[in-house]
Amino acid sequence: MKIQLKVNGQDLELEAPPDRRAVDLLREELGLTGVKEACGSGECGSCTILVDGEARLACLLLAAQLEGQAITTIEGLAQGEELHPVQQAFVELGAVQCGYCTPGMILAAVDLLRANPDPSPEEIRVGLSGNLCRCTGYQMIVEAVAAAARALRDQGRSA
Amino acid sequence: MTAVFTPTSLDALWQVLAAHPNALPYAGGTDLLVKRRAGLIDPPALVHLGRIPALRGIRAEGDWLRLGAGCTHRELLAEPRIRQALPVLAQALATLGSPPIRAMGTLGGNLCTASPAGDALPPLYVLDADTEILGAGGSRRLPIRDFIRGPGQTALGAGEILSAVYVRTPPPGSWHHFEKVGLRNALACSLVSLAALIRFDAERRVAEARLAWGSVGPTVIRCPAVEGRLLGERLTPAVLAEAAQLARQAVQPIDDLRAEADYRRQVAGNLLLRLAGDTQVERFS
Amino acid sequence: MMLEIGQAAPRADARAKVTGAERFASDHYPPGLVWAGVRRAGVPHARLRGVESQAARAVPGVLAVLIARDVPGTNRQGIVHKDQPVLAEDLVRHAGEAVALILAEDRAALRRALALIELDLEPLPPLLDVDAALDPAAPSLHDRGNCLLAAEIVAGQVDAAWADCAVVVEGEFHLPFQDHAFLETQNGVAQLLPDGVLTLTVSTQAPFRDRFEIAHALGLDVLRIRVICPYLGGGFGGKDGATVQCLLALAALHAGGRPVKMVWEREEAMIAGYKRHAARLRYRLGALADGSLHALDCQLHFDTGAYAHLGGEVMELGLEHAGGPYRIPHTRMRGWAVYTNHPIGGAMRGFGVCQASFAFEGMMDRLAAALGRDPLDLRRQNALRRGDRNCAGVTQVHSTGLVACLETLSRQPLWRERRAWQAAAPPFKRRGVGIAAVFNAMGYGRGLPDAAIAKVELTSAGTFRVYNAVADMGQGNASAFAQIAGQVLCQTAAAIELVQPDTALALPSGSSSAGRTTYTYGNALIRACEAMKAKLLQRASLFLFVDELASLALLPGKVRHMPTGRDLPLGRIAALLPEADRVSIEQFVMPVAQDVPATGKAFLIGFPHVFFAYAAHLARVEIDELTGKVDVTDYLAVTEAGRVLNPRNFAQQVQGAVAQGIGYALSEELRLREGQILNPDFARYLIPTSLDLPAIQSLAVETVEETGPFGMKGVGEVGVNGPLPAIAGAIEDALGLRLHQGPFKPQRVLAGVGQPGPVPGERP
Repeated sequence: MKIQLKVNGQDLELEAPPDRRAVDLLREELGLTGVKEACGSGECGSCTILVDGEARLACLLLAAQLEGQAITTIEGLAQGEELHPVQQAFVELGAVQCGYCTPGMILAAVDLLRANPDPSPEEIRVGLSGNLCRCTGYQMIVEAVAAAARALRDQGRSA
Repeated sequence: MTAVFTPTSLDALWQVLAAHPNALPYAGGTDLLVKRRAGLIDPPALVHLGRIPALRGIRAEGDWLRLGAGCTHRELLAEPRIRQALPVLAQALATLGSPPIRAMGTLGGNLCTASPAGDALPPLYVLDADTEILGAGGSRRLPIRDFIRGPGQTALGAGEILSAVYVRTPPPGSWHHFEKVGLRNALACSLVSLAALIRFDAERRVAEARLAWGSVGPTVIRCPAVEGRLLGERLTPAVLAEAAQLARQAVQPIDDLRAEADYRRQVAGNLLLRLAGDTQVERFS
Repeated sequence: MMLEIGQAAPRADARAKVTGAERFASDHYPPGLVWAGVRRAGVPHARLRGVESQAARAVPGVLAVLIARDVPGTNRQGIVHKDQPVLAEDLVRHAGEAVALILAEDRAALRRALALIELDLEPLPPLLDVDAALDPAAPSLHDRGNCLLAAEIVAGQVDAAWADCAVVVEGEFHLPFQDHAFLETQNGVAQLLPDGVLTLTVSTQAPFRDRFEIAHALGLDVLRIRVICPYLGGGFGGKDGATVQCLLALAALHAGGRPVKMVWEREEAMIAGYKRHAARLRYRLGALADGSLHALDCQLHFDTGAYAHLGGEVMELGLEHAGGPYRIPHTRMRGWAVYTNHPIGGAMRGFGVCQASFAFEGMMDRLAAALGRDPLDLRRQNALRRGDRNCAGVTQVHSTGLVACLETLSRQPLWRERRAWQAAAPPFKRRGVGIAAVFNAMGYGRGLPDAAIAKVELTSAGTFRVYNAVADMGQGNASAFAQIAGQVLCQTAAAIELVQPDTALALPSGSSSAGRTTYTYGNALIRACEAMKAKLLQRASLFLFVDELASLALLPGKVRHMPTGRDLPLGRIAALLPEADRVSIEQFVMPVAQDVPATGKAFLIGFPHVFFAYAAHLARVEIDELTGKVDVTDYLAVTEAGRVLNPRNFAQQVQGAVAQGIGYALSEELRLREGQILNPDFARYLIPTSLDLPAIQSLAVETVEETGPFGMKGVGEVGVNGPLPAIAGAIEDALGLRLHQGPFKPQRVLAGVGQPGPVPGERP
C-alpha cells in the first residue's frame, strides 16, 4: 500500500506492505538506523519514536497505522549541528555508555519534558520506566534529564 | 503479508468486518501484536480501530461517565475528571505497563484481552462499570462482570466490538485505594492486585465497601463475605486481619511462572491489612 | 578541548550515539543481502537421526539449507576447548543447539522455511544438575566425560587448622543462570569478497580470536578472514567467543558472494546465547578467637551447560577468589565445572567471582554474628594489605586498597546512621543494611599472554589516528585511549581520531574481557604515543636544524622550538615523512605473578592472577511485610582500582556493574524445567527498570598501580560482585533471615517476614 507520512519534518510517500512494522520500515526503507530493536515485544523501549509528539513503540506499530502521521526519530531531533538540550546533557553527563538504549531513552525524555517541564527525579524515573538500559544503572541518565530540564527552562524553551 | 484495515468510521468498520469475518480488531496492539509475533494467533487480516472518532472521547451522560473504548490509558490519566472523580482507576492505570505502553494501549484493549491480571479491571469492578458492546445491528450494555467470562474470554460475539465503558462517579468523600504487586516496579505483570472503594460514615465506620482482587482467579474476584465483614466496622488491624482470612478463602489463585498460588493467596489477604486506619493516605474523591 | 588524564571528559563516541549516527553491527544492511537464520533443536538432549529439509527448500526465496555435513572444516568452535559443533552432527546437547542454517532472500521466507524443517530426534534423558552429571552411571555428554575440569587450590594445612578455631561456621549457597541481556543481540554481516577474503562485521568482543575460531571450524585460512568490530550495544562477556561468527561464515560461503546478515531475536539470544554459570557453593569457615580467619574448606560446583566455552576458566577464577579478599592461612578450595544439558555457561562480568562472593561474604556475616563482632570491623581486620598472601597463597605485590575502601565506608552516613534509619521504618516496612567486601582479578593471569599492540598514525592532516584493537562494548575504552593519546601527545580531542577494531588495520590485542583492555592496550598505547612523540621531535629537529631534542616540545598541532618560538605544524611534518614513517607500533604484555604456589596444577590457564580491584559495598533495603518485595533504597560502592583516569567513566562502570548485580539479586534468573528455558524474553526475564534501582553512589579510593597506564587498573567487573551479598546481609539485618539462594524474590522473602524478626537495632 501507499503511505503518506512525515518523517523528521520531511513529507514522504512510501510503498510498503500494510503489516510491515514501523521499526523495519524506518530502519530499512528509510535508513534511520537510530531506531533500534532489542526485544520486538514492547518490553524495552529501544524502538521508541515520537508520533505526533508522543512516545510510541515502533516495534508495535504497523505501516498502515502511519498514514498521515508525523514521526520524529532520533535523527530528527538535533537542529543541524546543534544538539537538542537532552542530547547535549546526555553527552556531557555520562548518560551514554554502549548507546543502544540512547535514542529511545532520549525521545522518551523529550516526551516527558514536553508534558512536565520541571520533573522531580522520581518523575523522571517514572517517565523513563519503559526504557531499559543495561549499562548505566540509570543514575546518570536521570541526572542528564534533570540538567536538560534546567537548561530548557533557562532558555525559556519547551523540549 | 496480512491486510490491515484502518476504517475511519463505524460504518466503514462494519463493512470491513462483514467482508472479513476472521479479521481481528486491535487498537494499541500492545497485546495483540505481541501475541501475533509469538505465533499464538495468525489472523488473515487486522482491523485497526484507532482512527474511529466514535470510539474515543470522554463525556458525561447523566449519572454516568462514558469512556470511549479507544481512549488510551495516557489520555485517561490526563483527564481531570478521571483523576478527581475516579482515583482508583487512575491509580491502576498509572501502574500499567510503561509510559509508551500507556500511550498506545487502550481501555478497550485491556478489557478485551481479559487477562486475569489486567490492571484496569479491578477498579472497574469496584466501580460497577458497564460495558457497551456495539455491532452493525446495534448496541447492548453489560455489567463488566458479565462482559468478562474467563481468562481471555469476553461476551463479544461475531462482528462485535467493545465501544465504551460506563462508570458512575462514586459519592464524594469515598475512599479510593489500589495496590498492584509485581516482580519489579514497571513493565510488570500483576501477581496480585487489590482495588478498594469505601464509604465511611461520620464515625469512620464503613458504610459501604467494594473490594476487587486481580490475578488471583480466572477473572477479577469480588468477595461479598469480605465486604460484609467490614460493614459497620472501623478499619482496625484486627478487623482487617479477619477480613484477610476470608479473602484468602475466597480467592482462587494458580501457580504460574511468576508466583505460586500460596504466595498469591497469602498476599491477597495481606493487601487488606494495608487499609488500616492509621496508614491510610488521604485519597478521597 | 584538551584531553588529559584525570579529566571527566565526555565520551568520544557520545555525540554519534545521541544522534543515532553511530552504526552498530546490527545497523549494517549491505545492498543485495541475504538473510540467515538457525533452526535449533528445541530439546535438551537427543540423538539427531536426520534433518528433513525438502519442504523448507521449496519455500520461494530460500537459497540454501545447510546442515553439519555442509561444514567444511572440523565443525568445532570454542575458545579453549573446541567442543561445540557449529551445526549438530549426531547429538543434541542443549535446547538451543544449532541444527540447520537457512539462507533466504527475506525474513518472511526465512521464518517460513525454519518452521518447515523437520528434525528426527530421539530424545534422551537430560542431565539437569551437576550431581546427576557427575554420577558415574550418567551418560557422557563429551569424550572427556561430564567433568570439564576439576581442580583444587590449597594453602597451609587446613585439616589440622580446625582445632585452633574458636568458631566454625558452615553454609551452602545456590545461584541460577543469569543472562547478559545486552540490548543489541548477537548479530553480524559476512561476505566472501571477490579477492577471497571473508569479511565480517560483527558485534563481538574478540575480533582477532574470532578469525581463528572461524578458520578452525570451517577449514579456512585465518589470514584470509577479516573481522570488523564496531561499537557493541553491550557485551558483558556474552559476545566473547563465537556466537554468530562461524554460522555467518558458513552462510557466506554459500551465498554466491552476496553479503549475509544474521540477527538473533531476543528469544533466540536467550535460548542460544551464553550465560553466567549457575553454581552451588559449600563453605566451612573457621576463625580464631580474636577474629582472624584461619581455615577455609569449600567446594564450588559450576553448571557449565552443554559446552565448555570458558567454563574451566570461570571455575578457576571463582576458586581463586573463593576465600574472599582476606588473609586465610589454611585453605582447601575445590572446584568443578560440569557439563549438563542446560544452556551454555560462559563468560559474564564477574566471571565466577560473583557467585563466590555471595558465598564468602555470607560466611563472613555468619562468622561476625558467631563471634559477636561488628561485620565491617571483622572485614577490616582480615582485609588483604599489600604484601599479604591471599587465600591461594599468592603475594599481593601490587596495589591493594581494600582497607581504605572499608575505612571510607565506615565513615559514610549510610553506615553510621543506619540504626536510626532502620528504626524509622514506615508502617508495614522493615529496613536493613548490609555490606560486602569484594574483589576481582584483572587480566588473563598466567598461561596465556595478556598482550596488546597499539598502533598510532600521524595523518596527512597532522592529526592522530589511534587504531583501537580491543572492542568497545560500552565500557568506554575507546574514549580512555583518546584521553591517553591526548595526554601523551598533548593534543586536543579534535586532533585524536579513533578507529574501532578492524583486523585488517589494527594489531592483535586480545579480547575485550577480564577488565584488561584499558590497562593492557592503554600501556601499549602509551608506548606507541611516546615513540611517536620521540619520532616527531627527532624528525622536527632535522627539519628545523635543531641540535638538541630537549629544546623541542610537542604541542597541539605543532612542534615548537622553545628557545626561538619557531613552530612546525604537524601537517607539514606529515607531508615530509613517508607513510611508513608516520606509524608507531608498540606492544605491552601484562606482568604475571612471580610466586606461583605449588597448587592449582589442574589449571593450564589463569592461575594465578596478580592484579585485583577491590571494593566495599553497602546496601540499604526496605522490605514490605505484606508482599515480601525488596526495595533497595540506597546503594554505595567504594572502589579501588588504582588511579582514576576519568572520574565519570569510573563511576559509569561502577554504577552499571552494581545495577547488573542488583538485578541478579532481586529478579534475574533463568527459569529452567527439563532443560527448557521458561522465560526466554524480556516479559519474563526481568532486568531492572529505572524504578527498580536507587541512586547508586560511587566513591573512588585511589592508589597508584605502578604497572598500569597512569597508575590505573581495570574496574569493570568488581562492582557486580557486591549486590548479592550486601542485599542478602541487609535482608538478614531487617528480618533475621539469611537467604542462601538468589534471586531474593518476594515470595522467598515473604516466607522470612512471617518469622519474628529482631527488633531494629538488635543483632541476632
